[in-house]
Amino acid sequence: MQHLTEEDLVLLHYHEAETPAASEHLRTCDACRAQYDTLKRVLALVSEAPVPDRGPEYADQVWNRLRWRLDRKKRRTWQSLAAIAAVLAIAFVTGQWWEARQHHTTTIQPGVRSTVATPVAQSQSPAPDRLLILVVGDHLESSERVLTELANADPKKRLDLDGQQKRAQDLVVSNRLYRQSANDRGDQRMSSLLSDLEPLLVELANAPSTLTPEQVRAIQRRIEAQGLLFKVRLISAQTGGGESAPPPTGTSL
Amino acid sequence: MEMTDVTAVSRARDGDSDAFRLLVERHSRAIFRVAYRMTANEHDADDVVQETFLRAYRQIDRFEERANFSTWVHRIAINCSLDLLRARGRHDKHYGGDPSSEEMSAVIKTDDPQPDRLLLSAELQSHVARALERLSGNERTAFILRHFEGMPVEDIGKTLGIQVNAAKHTIFRAVRKLRESLEPFVRQNHATSD
Repeated sequence: MQHLTEEDLVLLHYHEAETPAASEHLRTCDACRAQYDTLKRVLALVSEAPVPDRGPEYADQVWNRLRWRLDRKKRRTWQSLAAIAAVLAIAFVTGQWWEARQHHTTTIQPGVRSTVATPVAQSQSPAPDRLLILVVGDHLESSERVLTELANADPKKRLDLDGQQKRAQDLVVSNRLYRQSANDRGDQRMSSLLSDLEPLLVELANAPSTLTPEQVRAIQRRIEAQGLLFKVRLISAQTGGGESAPPPTGTSL
Repeated sequence: MEMTDVTAVSRARDGDSDAFRLLVERHSRAIFRVAYRMTANEHDADDVVQETFLRAYRQIDRFEERANFSTWVHRIAINCSLDLLRARGRHDKHYGGDPSSEEMSAVIKTDDPQPDRLLLSAELQSHVARALERLSGNERTAFILRHFEGMPVEDIGKTLGIQVNAAKHTIFRAVRKLRESLEPFVRQNHATSD
């Protein structure tokens, strides 16, 4: 039998085409066996090329980065519909209230206007409040996803923000509106939370596309020191987490 | 009882995100390994893992239940890696020739046996990485699928969209280039260990 070619040796090594004749030749031919040994050593060397270890927590890190991307499209649709519904409902309720107020002011004496108008306004005000709670709940849930991803990022590695700056920019805008609204309504707890959240969102909105490990650690320290994630989760849960659950009694905004 | 991949896929199709999470938990580390071997870069490999599961989720209706989820998601990872390499212009980088004499001498430049062995190890790792980088995209992919993933040549042909014979010859070329690049180091290593 002729000597084995390199192709024969590769096929033998990968068990793709083992023939008794080739195996027998390899056993008896020193030259072919030497070539085969060299090939095996080369391929063993390639096998030893290290792959960085990803610990058991890697799956959680992957999931935390992934999960908000999975339902982003679905959520965007939901958010858009919720926002439109909220605006329409607020406009409707405000219109009703305004019409009722106008009606009463034209049928009573100027001196008693305020005593009649106030109960009407009060009876209508909870509806827009509830709608706002739904929308702010969704805002908190989105913020929670961003915070969770940052908190779970590997502090030894650079973090690709993967387009989250745009998301953070959107959150900054809505955060300001909700904070202002919470202030106006005297909801100190919500206002305080949104005030704590805002600098971090602003920083993320203006961050480079990749954070260095030092920047990741600094952000994680801030999240932990301020208990931001915990507070967001707590208040988000109390507002119904952006879902359609009604807010608990006494929670404003 | 532990949920099988097939059941998890079926539930994920119905919108059960916990079922999809289970698939991520089971396969993310293996996908990272293949992505790292393909891209030779940790951050790129992490990106490939993300993109792979995102594509898998979006295409989960196309997954045939009789197929193996691991094989399916590995193929997605290979495609994601190739896309990334193409986007970065690394896909068609071809073999750059034999190692230089400087590279060779760097392997054995100390008399102290212990540091020498350490140096040898680090240098060899770097040469192996460089040898893999010198393969073309198809050669690297075919080799990695055969050597590390144990994929049959026929399946490698399907993954790369080439005939079985072409896949076989792609692997031959890859192995020959690796041998040409690394044989001197293997001999050196073999001699010093004797």
